[in-house]
This record gives sequence, C-alpha cells and structure tokens, in this order.
Amino acid sequence: MLQLVADGFIIGSVIALGAIGVTLVYSILRFANFAHGELLTWGAYLAWTALIGIVAVWGPAEPLGPFSFGWPLLVALAISAVATAALALLVDRLLFRQLRQHGNAITLIMASFGAALVLRNLLQFIYGSIPEYYSREIQVAIRLIPRDVLGGLRITPDQLFVLGLTAVSVVSLHGFLTRTTLGKAMRATSNNPQLARVTGIDVDQIIRATWIIGAVLATVAGVFSGLTVQLRPQLGLDLLLPLFAAAILGGIGSVYGAVVGGLIVGLAESLSVPLVGAEYRAATAFAVLIAILLIRPTGLFGERT
Amino acid sequence: MTALRVVELEAGYEPGLPIVRGASLAVEPNEIVALLGPNGAGKSTLIKAIVGLVPVSAGRVFLHDRDITGRAAHHMAHEGLGFVPQTENVFVNLSIEDNLDLAASILRVPKKQRLRDLYDLFPDLARQRRLLAGRLSGGQRQMLAVARALVGEPKVLLLDEPSAGLSPKLVGIVFEKLLDVRATGVTIVLVEQNVKAALAIADRGAVLVEGSTRIVGAARDLAGDPQVAALYLGQHQGGS
Amino acid sequence: MPDLLGLLSYGTFFLVFATIFALVVLGLNLQWGFTGLFNVGVAGFVAVGAYTSALITAPNYPDQIGGLGLPILLGWLGAMATSGIAAFIIGIAALRLRHDYLAIATFGVAVTLQLVALNAKGLTGGPFGLQFIPKPFADVITDSLAWNVTYLLITSALLGLSYVALERLVRSPWGRVLRAIREDETAAESLGKRAFRFRLQAFVVGCMLMGLGGALYAHFVGYIAPEDFLPILTFQLWTMLIVGGSGNNRGAILGALVVWALWTLSGNVLRELVPSEYQARAATLQVVLIGLLLMLILLLRPRGLLGEETVVSRHMRDETADTKKE
Ligand SMILES: Nc1ncnc2c1ncn2[C@@H]1O[C@H](COP(=O)(O)OP(=O)(O)OP(=O)(O)O)[C@@H](O)[C@H]1O
Ligand SMILES: [Mg+2]
Repeated sequence: MLQLVADGFIIGSVIALGAIGVTLVYSILRFANFAHGELLTWGAYLAWTALIGIVAVWGPAEPLGPFSFGWPLLVALAISAVATAALALLVDRLLFRQLRQHGNAITLIMASFGAALVLRNLLQFIYGSIPEYYSREIQVAIRLIPRDVLGGLRITPDQLFVLGLTAVSVVSLHGFLTRTTLGKAMRATSNNPQLARVTGIDVDQIIRATWIIGAVLATVAGVFSGLTVQLRPQLGLDLLLPLFAAAILGGIGSVYGAVVGGLIVGLAESLSVPLVGAEYRAATAFAVLIAILLIRPTGLFGERT
Repeated sequence: MTALRVVELEAGYEPGLPIVRGASLAVEPNEIVALLGPNGAGKSTLIKAIVGLVPVSAGRVFLHDRDITGRAAHHMAHEGLGFVPQTENVFVNLSIEDNLDLAASILRVPKKQRLRDLYDLFPDLARQRRLLAGRLSGGQRQMLAVARALVGEPKVLLLDEPSAGLSPKLVGIVFEKLLDVRATGVTIVLVEQNVKAALAIADRGAVLVEGSTRIVGAARDLAGDPQVAALYLGQHQGGS
Repeated sequence: MPDLLGLLSYGTFFLVFATIFALVVLGLNLQWGFTGLFNVGVAGFVAVGAYTSALITAPNYPDQIGGLGLPILLGWLGAMATSGIAAFIIGIAALRLRHDYLAIATFGVAVTLQLVALNAKGLTGGPFGLQFIPKPFADVITDSLAWNVTYLLITSALLGLSYVALERLVRSPWGRVLRAIREDETAAESLGKRAFRFRLQAFVVGCMLMGLGGALYAHFVGYIAPEDFLPILTFQLWTMLIVGGSGNNRGAILGALVVWALWTLSGNVLRELVPSEYQARAATLQVVLIGLLLMLILLLRPRGLLGEETVVSRHMRDETADTKKE
C-alpha cells in the first residue's frame, strides 16, 4: 500500500511537471498542445545525447553519493533544457505562430497533433526504437518503512532526487509567477490577452517565455522518466493523456492545480494497478478525465471568470 | 497642436469589411470629448483601432502630432495612450495592487510614487489593495480600470462606456473622478451611450453613425440638438 | 508489356482502401467540416466497428467471447450501432464543454480502446487480433480479382450512398443549424441545450460512418489486430480531410484518394530505395513526410484542394448575422 503511494508520487511528479507546461500553454496560447508529450521525449533523448558527449570528452564520472548518476547527467539535463526550449521555440515560429496570425484556435490543435507525430517519428528515425538508459548501475533501494507496516516502503535515492527536484521546481515557478514582473505579466496575459496588450505587455515575449518554461519543465520530467523507468520514443505519447487529465483536473491555467492534478493522476494510476492490472494502468488517466469532465469540468482550482 | 487627431480612419475585423468608414476627430489638449452614436455604430471599433487592437486599413492617427497609425497595441501604452475597455477591463486574477504594480513595471514609471498618487486619487482602492480584482463591485472595478490605464501617465485616456452597468449614482461618482483626472492634465475621449451624463462633463461631442463622424460640436449645443436626438431615436427604432 | 492483370488487381486493391477511407473521412467531415467538432480518436471508433463486425460474423472463436457466425449485413449494422453508442457516451461527457475537451476526450478513447484491444484477450484476441473474418460472397466468387472487384462495388456503392445522404443532410435545415453552431459560438450559445443536441447528433452519425468503415476494412482484409488502429490512422484520415478541403464532401473523397495515393507511393519508393535492414526506420520518415504535408496545407492552403463551397458559407454568414442581431 505505502509502496504504491510512493510510486504514485514519483510518476505523479513527472506528470505534474509536464502538466504545468500543458496548462501554461493552454492558458496563454489557448490551445491544447498535443505535441507537449514530445517535448518530454526530446528532452529526455537530447539529455542522453549530451550525456554521451560529455562522457566522451571528459570520461566517465563517479556517481554522486548514493545516486546512480554523476555530475555529467546534471550538466546534460541543463544542455538538453536549453536545446528543448530552442526546439519548442522553433516549432512555434515555423508553425504555431503562423496559424495564430491567420487560422483559428482549432487549427492550432490539429497542427499540434501533426507536430507530435512528426517530432515523434523524427526522434524514432534518429534514435531507433530500442529502449535506452542513462546509467546501467543497479541501485539499491533504501528501506524506509519495514515490511510489516502497511506493506512497507522502499525507495531508491534516484526516486528521492526526483521528488526533491520536483518540489524545488514547483516552488521556484511559484516564486517566479507571483514575484517577478514577467511572471505577473504571464498571469495577466492568461487572464486577458487584449487587456495585457493595451497595458503595454508584449504578448509575443510572453509566449516565448511560456514555451521556454514549458520546455524546461518537460525536459526535467522527461529525464526523470528516463531515470526512473527508461528512455523510449513512446515516452511522451504514453504520458500525454495523464498530462491532459492532470491539467484539466487541476483547472486549466492553474499551476498549483496542475501539480495537485499530476500527483492525483499518478496516485490513481499506481493504486489502480492491483485493481485492474498493470496493463490497464494507462486507462486510469482516461477514467479520471471523464469523471472530471462529468462532475466538475472547471477542475479543482479552475478560475471563475 | 492637437492631443489626438484621427483622419479619415477606416478599420474593421475582416479584410474588405470596414466597420469604421472615414471617421475623423481632433481632440485638443486637456479636453473631454464625448463620442456618441447608436448601438453598433462602430464606436468601440473606432477606439480599438486607435489603440491598435483592430487593424487599420486607411487613414491616420496622430498623438501630439506623432503618427502612431498601425503601431502594435503594446506600444501604444508606452506612447502615452491609455485605454479602458468596455468590459473585462481589469486582470481579475491579480490583486488591485498587482494590477497597478504590473502596469508600472511594464511602463517603467517610478512605482512607489505613481501608485501613491493613484491611491490618493482613488482612496477606495487604497483601502483594499490586496483584494483580488475579480472580487470588486462594478463601480470599484471601473475605478481600478481607470487607475490601471493611468499608471503610465498617458497624455490621452480613451474610455469605452465607463458608465455601462452602473447605477446612476455610481455613474455620477465615476464621472466626477474623470473630471479629477482631467484636472491632472489628461486629455479624455469618452465613448458613451449615456448621452446626457456624457455631455454634462464633456467640452465637445462627436456623433458616429455607420462608422463615420457626422456631427461634431460643443457639448452644450449637442445636448439640445434635435438632429442628434433624431439620429439616436431613428436608429434605435430601426435597430431593434 | 507490364502485367495488366496484376496492375488491375493492384488498382482494385488500392481503390477498395481509398473508398473505405473516403467513407470514414465523410464521417469526419460531418463532425469537423460541418459542425466544428474535433475528433482525435477516429482510429478508436474505426476499431470499435471493425471488432464488432468481426465478433458478430466470424465463426465461433475458441476461448473467447464472440464469433456468432451471423450474416455480414448484421455485422455491419452492429458496427455502426456500437460506434454510435461509444460516440454517444463520449459526446455526453465532452460536447457540452470547450471544443478542446472533445479533442482530449476522444484522444483518451483511442488510447483506452487500444489498450483494450491489446489486453482484453477474451474479447479482442489480444495482440494477435481476430482472424477468419468472413468475406461476403466469397463462397460464390472464388476468383480473387473478381472478388476484389465485387467488394470494390460494394464499398463504392456504400460510399455513394453516404455521399448522397450527407449532401442532402447538410443542405437541409438541420445542416444549416450545424454550420451556424460551428461558425458562431454566440449563436450556438443562444441555442443552448439544442446546440448540444445538434452537436451530439452530428458526432454520433459521423462516428457511425467511421464504425462502418472499420467493418468494411475488417471484412476486406479478413483479419484485424490492434496495430491496424494506431494514432497514425487518425492522422492519415485527418490529413485526407484537410488536404481535400473540410466542409466539402467531394473534397473529403478527393482528399482520401490523393493522400492514400501519396502514402502508398511514398511507401513504395522508400521500400525500393532503402535497404531492408533500415526499412523500419525509413517507415518513420513516411509519417514525417505526411505530417509535413498536413502542416504545409494548413499554412499555405488552409481551405484544402477544393475548399468549402462558398455559396453555402456565404449564405451561412448572413444567417448568423441575423441571429446575432436578434
Ligand atoms: N470582434 C468582432 N468581430 C467581428 N465583428 C465585430 C466584432 N466586434 C464588433 N463587430 C461588429 O462591428 C460593428 C460595430 O460594433 P461596435 O462594437 O464597434 O459598435 P458600438 O458602436 O461600440 O456599439 P455599442 O454601443 O453596442 O457598444 C457591429 O456590427 C458588430 O457586429
Ligand atoms: Mg461598444
């Protein structure tokens, strides 16, 4: 039981970080971005490439403390975040921006659906479809709670790292959105883009910031997923439904909602395994989604406007 | 020198379908001009075109003799043009303070002092600066909308039906405030349905019919002008 | 002298698929082109039809439900019914909400159905799918080319029938309301509950056509498996509609032909050019190419090859303008 909850929080962290990007793009660019999952995949794979590059130049490094990875993975994560943000900006420039100017909101969704397929297949073309790992080290899980208490709890240092860095990311983002001018301008734009413009806010700049934040968090989420599970070209596709479910559950536009939504969807997935079996785990997100659409479509923290 | 000059402006939402068709208007510094006209005449479209929210297809707009035609909306606030939209004119997910504070940071005005001036002008806002703007009542919200538009010390303030949805008493209060604002040296263009109240505080009025300015004159002349009344009544009957 | 018979056989084969796709794209066009409903789960609804018809008509499957051995016609009707019911349920949940929610919900349907197809072995046969799906008239027409031609006649007739029916439907008052709803959210809101009902009807009818398409596919190929209904199928169908021109039933059919031709052609070219050990990778390039085609069309020719019939849309605009004034 405890173990399932812990697993749920770990997958929930990945979902939460991805869902923040979905919800930000949705509230500022006003469309459901079906390509967001691919940013997670690309983030994870670009980090893998960067890792190989770093190891090739500086040689392999000792793992940091109890973790399975050394400093190169952290540097690779940073490099990949920059590259993934550049990719997101490129797709926006070539595709979404043109459609924003001429088309309507719904062509944007369709374009994002197409972009998702192109990005995924391009990645599969480059990297092939065999799963990869950042590290082949087998980690010893730490037993936090003995087996006789609610089934006990074992957790690897990497998993603790994921939980910790997720918390740090969310807290920093919160600070950014409530304290800085750019953050407030993003919230203002999400509330009312026309008013934002006449207030002097350059909405194009806000959109760029949104993509960058979304892509950086997607990279972190993708790397976490690669670290705790494995790297697969389908990683983002499989996470897309949970991301949407989390964003809608939390209330579109609400960052905290996306985090809570992500954790709930992660927990639901994990707890559903003993009930419906691991093979239907992914359908849990769908059940959550339909339930929220029927019961409270504005989500838990939806803004009343 | 005119504060705001609109010359033969043509603007609309879709190419080839102009809503504003040859509107002209000259506003002197520190004047209050009421822009009147029947429903659907294109008043909102005209001021949205002036501030860059609706594409302009012909004609020119000058702000203190500087040509600002077709500049992007987010430059207009920096140019010294303040705009209060008809609806949804505050950021409901930000506090009162953040509404003003954000505008000050964006427009790079000395924040502390500017906010203090505005709070002096609108003491109601000062009392509840941490309150979420979405929770304000209609009149207070309108005050915040005006204050937000004033943050950048605009030379010209454009307001779209600030009296809409307010009780007559509140309309009086808001319009009083506009006179206070004018006293600080701001030029005001006021779009209004509430002809009487608008002409009571305006120096001059202009009537927009089917996208072009038809009658321009001193407020006190327009108030009694049977032609203006006819335009209104005629359109009202035809339109509804 | 090329093998004329082979060419003919290949051509029939190609056209059977093209007509089946066209039928599904007509359903999609009713949803998107005429009503503005964004369905990202087309493959799921096609799959429901295919599996239903297989389970109704195939001979008894060992170790699993279904295989009722009923007439094929019943299978096809059953396919339309189950797809329609699935659409009804999803529609109730998602059609009242913003349009993106329908997209997300239908995407979820496709993902979930894919899981069911893969894992519910007792119903769907799992990863290996269902075999022995009967081919109509196969006992009378034994020559394979003649049978293909017969099947092509069936699919073409159904396509023609659907085309005529849809053309009448979208020109009826019902169709005009659909377009009013699509064009104008405020007009739709003024219709309130009725708008929801119209949307639901269009969504269900569209999905029934998708189910029928799935059934036609199943009975032509004779076996189905989960991998026949991946998101790429949805994507191909969307590309067909956008390339042909949404809001135009002839465009939908033309798009199906053109994109299916491009798809087969690019597949053949890649197969010729790329050494066999790289084929799997090269196949991903095929998707990239079609994806780029879709995006280019969206960017450069958003109305597609044929575009929406302007008479209809002009008429439409006046109509919504009227409703707005009221
Ligand atoms: N966003 C829009 N897109 C297309 N047409 C619009 C839009 N907004 C307004 N219109 C049209 O432009 C015309 C003029 O509208 P506008 O809002 O400028 O009139 P108005 O004079 O401000 O009327 P009111 O007194 O009712 O506010 C109307 O026919 C309206 O239908
Ligand atoms: Mg107006």
